[in-house]
Amino acid sequence: MMKLILFSLLMSVCAVVAFAQTPQAPQTKLKVGDLAPDFSLSDTTGNKVKLSDFRGKKNVVLAFYVLAFTGG
Amino acid sequence: MDSSPANKRFAEDIKVTFPLLSDWNRTTTKDYGLYNDVSGYGRRATFVVGKDGKIEHVEVGNTAIDPSGAYQACDLLMKKKKSE
Repeated sequence: MMKLILFSLLMSVCAVVAFAQTPQAPQTKLKVGDLAPDFSLSDTTGNKVKLSDFRGKKNVVLAFYVLAFTGG
Repeated sequence: MDSSPANKRFAEDIKVTFPLLSDWNRTTTKDYGLYNDVSGYGRRATFVVGKDGKIEHVEVGNTAIDPSGAYQACDLLMKKKKSE
C-alpha cells in the first residue's frame, strides 16, 4: 500500500514537472489593421527581399512555416 | 528559420513560384511575436499584408496550415482593388 502511495506521489510530481516545462506557445500581439513589421531576408538565391518594397505595389501573403519541409 | 541552401533545395524539389525566405537569425519571427524562447523555434502563422503595408488577416497555430482564411483575405483585397 505504501509503495502504491509513493508511486502515485512520484507520478504526480513527474506530471507537475512535465507540465511546468511545457513551452508556452508565443502569442503574437499583431492584429488586423496594424502595420506589418518590415523585414529584409534572403531568398534562395541570396537576394534580399524587403517587405516594404511591395508597399503600394502588391498585396503580400507571409506564411511562417516552421519545421514543415526542410527540418530546420 | 531554415538556411537559404536548405530552402533552395526544397524550392527546387517542389518548384515554388514565390520567394522562399530564410529567417536564420529569428529576427522576423521575433518581430511578429511567433518565437518560442524555450523551444528555439517559431509558431506557424499566415499574415496577409495589404498594399498599404497593413495587416489584413492573421492566422496563428495549426490552423495556419489551412490556407482558406488567407484565400478569403486575398479575395477581399482583390474586390477592394476592383472597386477602387
